[in-house]
Amino acid sequence: MVTPWLVPLAALVSATLVRRAHARHTEPQPWVDAGVATLMLVPLAAIVAWPGSFTPARAAIAAGLSVALLSNDPRDLPQTEVALKIMWVLAAAFALSWAGDALLALASGSARPREQWPALALALDPYALWSAALSLSLLAGLVLLGGAPFHFWPGDLFHGARPHLAPLVAATLQMAGAVWLQRHLDGITSFGGAAQLVRALLTLSAMVALAGGAATLGYQWRPERRVGALVSLQGALMLASLAAAPTRTPFAEHGGISAWAGHLLLASTGASILSHFLPAAAGPSERASVLFRRHPWAGAAGAYALLSLAGAPGTPGMFVWLDAARTLADLKHPGLLFGLTLAWLAAFGVAADEIRRAFGAPDGSPVPARPVPRSLRAALWLTFGALVVLMAVWNWGMRAEG
Amino acid sequence: MTGPILRIPASYAGAICATVGILLLMLPGVAWAALGLELVALAFWLWARSLPDSGEQLARWTWLRRPAMALWLAAALFLALPQLHNVFAPVLLPTPSDVFLPPTLHVAPLPMSRDPMLLLRTIASLAILWAGLELMAALPLSRPFPDLTGPARPVGPWLTALLPVTGFLVVWRQAELWAAAPLAREIATLALMIALVLSSLRAYSRRSLTATLRWLVVYDSALASLLVTRDIVPGSVAALLWLGTAGGRLISLAGELKSKAARRGPALTRLWRVAGWLAGSALAWPLLADAGFSDQRFHPLEYGVLSAPVFLASALWLIRIVEAPERRAMARPEDRSSLVSRVGAVVTCLLGPSALVYAWWNGYHVSSVAAVFAILPPLAAWWPVRRMLPAPGGPPAETTPGGTRDFALSTFRAVTLIERQLAAAIAGIARALGAPARDLHSGDAQEYLLFLVGVAVLALLLPVLR
Repeated sequence: MVTPWLVPLAALVSATLVRRAHARHTEPQPWVDAGVATLMLVPLAAIVAWPGSFTPARAAIAAGLSVALLSNDPRDLPQTEVALKIMWVLAAAFALSWAGDALLALASGSARPREQWPALALALDPYALWSAALSLSLLAGLVLLGGAPFHFWPGDLFHGARPHLAPLVAATLQMAGAVWLQRHLDGITSFGGAAQLVRALLTLSAMVALAGGAATLGYQWRPERRVGALVSLQGALMLASLAAAPTRTPFAEHGGISAWAGHLLLASTGASILSHFLPAAAGPSERASVLFRRHPWAGAAGAYALLSLAGAPGTPGMFVWLDAARTLADLKHPGLLFGLTLAWLAAFGVAADEIRRAFGAPDGSPVPARPVPRSLRAALWLTFGALVVLMAVWNWGMRAEG
Repeated sequence: MTGPILRIPASYAGAICATVGILLLMLPGVAWAALGLELVALAFWLWARSLPDSGEQLARWTWLRRPAMALWLAAALFLALPQLHNVFAPVLLPTPSDVFLPPTLHVAPLPMSRDPMLLLRTIASLAILWAGLELMAALPLSRPFPDLTGPARPVGPWLTALLPVTGFLVVWRQAELWAAAPLAREIATLALMIALVLSSLRAYSRRSLTATLRWLVVYDSALASLLVTRDIVPGSVAALLWLGTAGGRLISLAGELKSKAARRGPALTRLWRVAGWLAGSALAWPLLADAGFSDQRFHPLEYGVLSAPVFLASALWLIRIVEAPERRAMARPEDRSSLVSRVGAVVTCLLGPSALVYAWWNGYHVSSVAAVFAILPPLAAWWPVRRMLPAPGGPPAETTPGGTRDFALSTFRAVTLIERQLAAAIAGIARALGAPARDLHSGDAQEYLLFLVGVAVLALLLPVLR
């Protein structure tokens, strides 16, 4: 499969190009600075490419690394504020989850999830103890996935952090959340009571995440925050898949968690770049932004990434949404499936509306003299190309299986 | 320095999108139909944004994405759950030992029964129906759109008439998907009958012939959709009948915009008058026969409700299609004998009766009493023509102020006003219910922690409260 290394590589190159475009005037060697900044992102890209080596402990380290990357530039106040907010919440979430882990270990006599369930199935411990411990232990995963009511951090991240950094941090944290949940549920089928409880908790969380994400899309006005809300809906999709089948690898037909995170990374990279050119408060009949007046085809390439994040037909994102929907259908979760369909409609509708507003209405004014930096346009085209390749690979894979 | 940019003029881009969209609507798959409607909506957006009053035009045609989204909803459900196609399919029970007994079909279950797939299938069906009805001005939210001119200057008045066409195509081509759901046919029949009455009233109340013709296309599409909904004739026959009537109106509307090409000269005007009347009568005839005389008995209410708009629409056509006064000193030869107009009139004339013959050839049968009664309302429409036709060369006939036209206008306005107020009330309630989502969080980091603690407490309590 070509995707495990291709996608993070494309995202890294895009990040370099975006960093180059946003270089400060005081930087004497913008390309070298962009290269160094990208080198710092390589660990995050490696995590997205090879999630097999990810453990809950390493998820915490990845979260710490993300916060460190966000806060390393004290001159960038909005980004530092985002880092503080994420650290503030994640520290508490990890503390609560580790408390839950410790209680589970205390109740079962083992720290390994696979060994805990048979021990708990003996019913030697009170229900209140292990159920509370289990619920708490999943909390960090829910926060990291960024579904509502924790959808604030993707919104803050895409609004406050620099565009070369935000997508990689979001993809890493969300993948950490997915892996956290998956590892904690390892072998849970050997204890029916725990499996039932987890299914109920995850179903409730997924429902809240889908409904909250869709409602947030409707109320958000800033395009960057809307991209954040779309990213949070990707977390909701992962939650829905896990709620339907806690022990099955989510998105297995399309390359598993790694491919899900890869698509998320690419689509959010393109959408994040585009969001900085989208009007925040303009009406549909106002003049288009610079990108769309000067380079409409580059704008269309960016729009493809936004549409893919929303799961629009004809994009690789459609496969991600369809995969989640089919999992829910196969495992008889019609309520969650209906919620997912409504969330998809909201996501698709908002993305299409954003693109229409971006193209605006021509008013006969001349094309702006100052072009959009070439490296930014190259990044848009690169993410578009990588998404098209991903689409072709998944489409080809589906046909081969069919 | 700006490089060369490939820019297609908005009028061409819109025309390409609309043409491809309508072609896609003729394909059977619901995903193709959704893409087709999306392209039609895109065409209107492209046209609207290129106009000087783009703000008004864009706001006017934003609703076109709603039917497209309804179809996308249905397409997504059918794509995610291919088994939904078979949910309401009648199940063939095992044949008993006696081979001469006919096979028994199991009745389709209701959507509220325990299988949740039935509910999803019903939602998908209703979404398709929503899309079709809304495009035919048969739903309150977008009812008055045929009054408006389309967003392209030279052909704007004609473009609006394109939307009922797309509505009928959705209803006809996706009939297998939506008609199987319980209550879908009943809902469609009710909405279409209301649309039929309102469109004929509105066509009557408008003084401009172009606006009247647009409303008559809505009327034709609703009538043809009723044929599909009630399964009176095969879908292909309904489509042929509709093509004869609505196609004729669209050609005459196009001719009206191009020097009144359908009303140049007494012979051509007479030909158009007869052709439109014949096509309209052919379309209404099977519906009136079925509604009035199904189950071997007379249904006065259904017959009365349907025959009134049929009479009104036929009379309107006959009254309004009068020879255009020649105001130019020298008429252009191409205006006097427009080939397209003449061929269009002949095709319109032939299509409706041919479709009925085709239906009869394939087993369609109507009792002689029903056949006679069904043709009475269109025939009666000739009476006001004889009375109201102007003298040759005189001005077109007008009714007196405060008369029947004002009644039609006030009825239409009252109904749409009530509908709008109802829709606004429902939207207000939805907004009030959704308002807390706006204040879900303020962006304060302190609040994030409160959320986390709240969810943690909930996670602790929920398992205990099992």
